[in-house]
Amino acid sequence: MNEQISRQIFRAYDIRGLYNKDISPEVFYKIGCAAGTYVRQILNGTQIVVGSDIRQSSQPLTHALMAGITATGVQVKHTGTTSFGQTLYAGGIQHADLIAFVTASHLPPEWNGVKFYYGDGVGFPEAELIRIRDLVLGDKFSLADWQTIGSIQPIDAHDAYKAFFLSKITLKKKHTVTLDCGGGSMALSAPEIFTDLKFTMNPVFCEPDPTFSKRPSDPKPKNLTTLVNSVRKHGSEFGVAFDGDGDRAVIVDDTGAILSADQTGILLAKYGLAKNKGTVIVNVECSKAVKEQLEPLGFRIKQIPVGHTFLTLEAKQEHAVLGIESSGHLILPEYFLFDDALVVPLKIAQILDTMKQPLSELAAGIPMYPTKKEEIDCPDEIKFDVVESLKRRLSSEYEQVNTMDGVRVDLPEGWVLIRASNTSPIIRLTAEAKDETSLKRLLTQFMRPTTETVEHVKETTTR
Amino acid sequence: MTRLFGTNGIRGVINQDLTGELALGIGSAWGSYLKTTAQRPRVLIGTDARLSNAMLRSAVTAGLLATGCDVVDVGLVPTPTLQYAVKQRHYDSGVIITASHNPPQFNGIKGVALDGTEFSKDTEEEIEARYFSQHYARAYWTNVGTYTSWDGAIDLYIKGILSAVDIALIKKQRFHVVLDCGNGAGSLVAPLLLKKLGCIVTPLFCTPDGTFPGRNSEPTPENLATLMKTVPEQKAMLGFAQDGDADRAIFVDENGTYVSGDQSLSLIGKYITRGINGSVVVTPVTTSTCLEDVIKANNGRVIYTKVGSPVVARVMIAQHAIFGGEENGGLIFPRLQYCRDSAMTCAKLLEILAREQRPLSELVAEIPHYEMHKMKMSCPNEKKEQVMNTLAEEMKDSKDVVRIDRTDGVKLFLTNGWVLMRPSGTEPIFRVYIETKNKQDTEQLAEAYKGIVERIIEHA
Repeated sequence: MNEQISRQIFRAYDIRGLYNKDISPEVFYKIGCAAGTYVRQILNGTQIVVGSDIRQSSQPLTHALMAGITATGVQVKHTGTTSFGQTLYAGGIQHADLIAFVTASHLPPEWNGVKFYYGDGVGFPEAELIRIRDLVLGDKFSLADWQTIGSIQPIDAHDAYKAFFLSKITLKKKHTVTLDCGGGSMALSAPEIFTDLKFTMNPVFCEPDPTFSKRPSDPKPKNLTTLVNSVRKHGSEFGVAFDGDGDRAVIVDDTGAILSADQTGILLAKYGLAKNKGTVIVNVECSKAVKEQLEPLGFRIKQIPVGHTFLTLEAKQEHAVLGIESSGHLILPEYFLFDDALVVPLKIAQILDTMKQPLSELAAGIPMYPTKKEEIDCPDEIKFDVVESLKRRLSSEYEQVNTMDGVRVDLPEGWVLIRASNTSPIIRLTAEAKDETSLKRLLTQFMRPTTETVEHVKETTTR
Repeated sequence: MTRLFGTNGIRGVINQDLTGELALGIGSAWGSYLKTTAQRPRVLIGTDARLSNAMLRSAVTAGLLATGCDVVDVGLVPTPTLQYAVKQRHYDSGVIITASHNPPQFNGIKGVALDGTEFSKDTEEEIEARYFSQHYARAYWTNVGTYTSWDGAIDLYIKGILSAVDIALIKKQRFHVVLDCGNGAGSLVAPLLLKKLGCIVTPLFCTPDGTFPGRNSEPTPENLATLMKTVPEQKAMLGFAQDGDADRAIFVDENGTYVSGDQSLSLIGKYITRGINGSVVVTPVTTSTCLEDVIKANNGRVIYTKVGSPVVARVMIAQHAIFGGEENGGLIFPRLQYCRDSAMTCAKLLEILAREQRPLSELVAEIPHYEMHKMKMSCPNEKKEQVMNTLAEEMKDSKDVVRIDRTDGVKLFLTNGWVLMRPSGTEPIFRVYIETKNKQDTEQLAEAYKGIVERIIEHA
C-alpha cells in the first residue's frame, strides 16, 4: 500500500490537494501509472490527451503524470498549457480514450489536481475515479516493456479550437463585452476568440497570472467588483467572468447585475433554444424557476444528482439541449458535452444579436426566488447515515420527496434539500421559497429534524 | 563508489532497473544539487532516439521543475550537441537521456556540467547521496521552474564545427562518404554537416529509430559489416559510423577496412600535434602505445588517466591539452569543446585527408602497429583491492618489469610491452589488457599473466 498518499485527494469528481503537501510529482507519477493502467485494462485503449492550466505547479505535475502514463505503454498527446476547453476539444478531435486536465479549477493557487474526461466530453464518474484511487493506493500498475512504452507527442489545442468557434458563431451586430479571465487559463483562448469574432472587448485580468494576485480564481459575486464596474463604465452589453481553468462562467448584465447560473440557464433556453425545445438537465439544487419558466415553453426538465459528471452523462443519454448545475457549470451540447465556459457568453451574444431588448430586460422577466444555504456540523463517519435516516423519516412525513441525491422535499411554497457534503464534515440544508417569510419558515421546519437526527445517530453509533 | 552512476551516467533496462520513479527521484536530487550552485538554475535537456525517451525525459523534468530549476528541452539531439549548447548558452547543467551504444531495451541518464563536460564523479556522488537520503530541495509552489522548448541546438552546433575546420579546403575535395548513423541521434546532425562540407553522402540507417533496425548501436567490426561492404562497392573515400548518441566515431577506409579507435585516435593526434612542440595529449591507461609513439615523434607528450571520458576531459582542461580521447572512438577537440564528439571527429579527419591528398588506408598504415589482447577474469569485488596490491608487490622486483603505474588498476610496463589489470566498477571481474609489438609475444604474456593472476586471486 502507498501509505504516504492521502486518500483525501480523491474527491467525487476529481483529484485535488495542496501542492507539496498532499500532491507532488511523485503522487502524480503514480496517478499517471494508474490512469495508463486503467486505459489499457478497462478501456482497452491506447492514448490519453494531457493538458494543464496556468498554475505554477502544473508543469512539474503534468510532466510527472505523463511519465507515469507512458510507463504503462499508453501514448500521450500533450496540448501544453491551455484553457480547459482547448484541451477537451483537442481530446475530442484525437478520439482520446481519456483526457486528463491538470487543474484545481477555482481553488486558490497553492492547490492543484487533475480531472479526467472521456474523449467524447463525458465527465469521469466517481466509481471509476475510485478504481484509479485503488490502483494508486495499491501500487497496482502494469508497466510496459521497452518496446511498447508510450511516447509523448505535442499537439495543437489552440488553432483548431479557435477555428471551431469562428466557423460556428456568426453575429450580425457588433457587440461590446467586458471579459474577466481572472488571470486564469481562459486568458489563453477567450480574448483572442472574442477579438476575432469582432467584439468590442474590454479586458479585465486577461493576462495569465498564476498566483491569482489580481482576483481570486473563484468567480463569486464578491470577487467581481472590477468586472461589474467595467461593464458600467464602458457600457458593455454584458460581462463575463471565468474561473481558474475555464469550466464556469458568470454573466453580468448591462446594468452590472450578476446573474445566477439558474437565471443564465433559463435565458439560454428561453431565448436561445426555444426552436429546439428538447430536454434540459438540472440538478436537485436548481431553482424551481427553471421548471416554471421552461416547461410551458415545451422543454422537458430532467432532475439529476449534483455533480458535473452526471450532467455530462445525462446530457449525452437524453440528447439534452442544455444542462444546468447550480454551482455554475452550464453545458450546451450543440457545441460540447463538456462544460467549457466559453460557450456561455458566446450563446448570450447570439441571443442579444437577435433581440431588441438589453440583457437586463430579458433577465427581468425571469423571477428569482430567495434561497438560503445552512451548514450543520456532522462528523464524516456518520454524515451519510444521517442523510439515510432523514430520507426514511421525511419520506413518511411528506408526500413529494425525492431521494436521488440527499433528500429533497417539495412543498407548494418552495423546497428543501438536505445533503451530506462530499468534501467536508458538514450536512447542507438548501432551501428556496416564493418569499422571504416562507423561506424562513421552511428552514426552521427542516432544521429541527436534521439536528435531531445528527444527535440521534451520534448517540447510537457511540453506544 | 557511486551506486547508480556508472562510467557514463546511469544505465539500466527500462522499467526494470531504470523506472520513471527512479528518474523522477534523480531529477529531484539533481535539481536539489543545482540549487546549491545557482539561485535559479537553468537546465538543458535532450534525448537520443530510444523509445523510452519521453518517459524518462518527463520524469527527470518533473523533478527538476519541482526543485525550482527552469528546464529547456532541445528534443532529439546527439550528446555532443547538447554539451556544446550548455557551454555556449551558459546553462547551469545539461541532462541527456541516452544509453549510448547499449542494446535498445536499455536507457540512461547522463549529466553535463556548466562547462559542457560530463559530470565529475564528485558531482555524481553528491546527486546520489541526495537521492538515497531523499533530501530534496522542493520549491514552494510560487518558485517551481518553467518548461520551454528550443530547437536551435543543432544549428548552433553545426556552425561551431564549421568554424573549427577549413571548410573551403574540405569542400573542394567533394569527398564521397558512406554515412552509418546506426539509426541513432547522429541522424539529425551528420547528414546535414557532411552536406555543408560539400560531401557526396551515401546514407545507411540515417533515420532515428529506437528499435535500431539497421544494426546494433555499438560500432564494432561485426556491427559495421554493411558499412564495410558498401564503401568499396560505392567507390567511396570513407565510411563513417556513430554510436547511439553520436559521441563516438568509427571509420572504414576506402577499401572497406575497419579502422580501430586506437588508430583513428593516433592518426588524428599525429596531424593535430604536427609542427607544434610540447603539445599535451590526454588518454586513459588502456590506450595503445601507438598514440604515444606518434605524439613523441612530434615532440609532444601523452598524459595517461583513469578510464572514463569525464576524467580525460578534466585532465585536458587542467593540462591545457591540445587533443585527447579514448581507444573506443571517443575523441575530444578542445578547439570546439571538452567532450567526445563524433561529428567533429569526422570533420577533422576530412580536413586531414584533404590536406594530405592521400587515401585513409595509407595514413593508417603509417601508424605503428601493436597487438593487443583483452580478457576478463572473475574476481569477487571484495578481493579486488588485495589482488591488485599483491600483484604490484610481487612484480616490483621482477627483471621484466620496468615500471609499475597505479593510475587505474595495475599497469606493468615490461621490456617488450605492457600488461594492465583494472577492476570493473559494475561486475565482479578484472579487465586485463596485454600489448606488445607482435602477436606471439602478446599471446605468451597473456598465458603467463592469466596463470599469475589466477593464483593470486585463489590465495587472496
